[in-house]
Amino acid sequence: MTQRDAIEWIAKIFETSPDQLTSDTPREAIAAWDSLGVLTLMASLDSDFGIVLTDDDVQGIKTVGDILHVMQRNGKLT
Amino acid sequence: MRFILVDRIHELDPGKQIVASKTLPAHEELFRDHFPGFPIVPGVLLTEMMAQAAGRCLDADGTHPGRAMLGKINGANFREWVRPDQEIRLHAKITQNRPTYATADCFAEVEGKKVCSAELFFVFAPHDRFAPDHRDPVLEAYWTTHPSQAR
Repeated sequence: MTQRDAIEWIAKIFETSPDQLTSDTPREAIAAWDSLGVLTLMASLDSDFGIVLTDDDVQGIKTVGDILHVMQRNGKLT
Repeated sequence: MRFILVDRIHELDPGKQIVASKTLPAHEELFRDHFPGFPIVPGVLLTEMMAQAAGRCLDADGTHPGRAMLGKINGANFREWVRPDQEIRLHAKITQNRPTYATADCFAEVEGKKVCSAELFFVFAPHDRFAPDHRDPVLEAYWTTHPSQAR
């Protein structure tokens, strides 16, 4: 998956437009990135990519780029 | 009307899958409005029935830090009208079962015909939020007849 595809995937999770997202977009700038959004992200990474986040992973994810980094670390980004 | 939207559990594999049923009798007051002269079970109640069945499947598992609560409804579909007094069979298969969240593929059928389906997302509310003496009568009834599965 390319970074552009990944951003589109993230936008779908948070029910927003991919045009609104860059690597630097912080959690606070995305309305649906609330506590339910975090759980939705965890479930989607798990079901779509087999990535199971640890508590430390979750604490460390503060921007879209952090999500991309997790995906890259798990070999899901080209 | 009580908000217990599962009458009976027929099959239960805790944390994995469940088959349950619910019948809404014609005398329920909601049918006066939904709809006048054309009483049908509201889709929101069908969704809640599936959620309550799936939630009981998760609660029966006993491995979560709280009680399963519906967090999100993904892609619900309603295919057929459901009339009062029809038995609604509720099927839920847990597709993800993690400590902090769970997902379930659910469907309901009447007389063997699928009437609706939904993918449901659950979160868990801490047990101490609820009345300490609360017991789930539907799960208790199931465990009475299936004592080997009782927690």
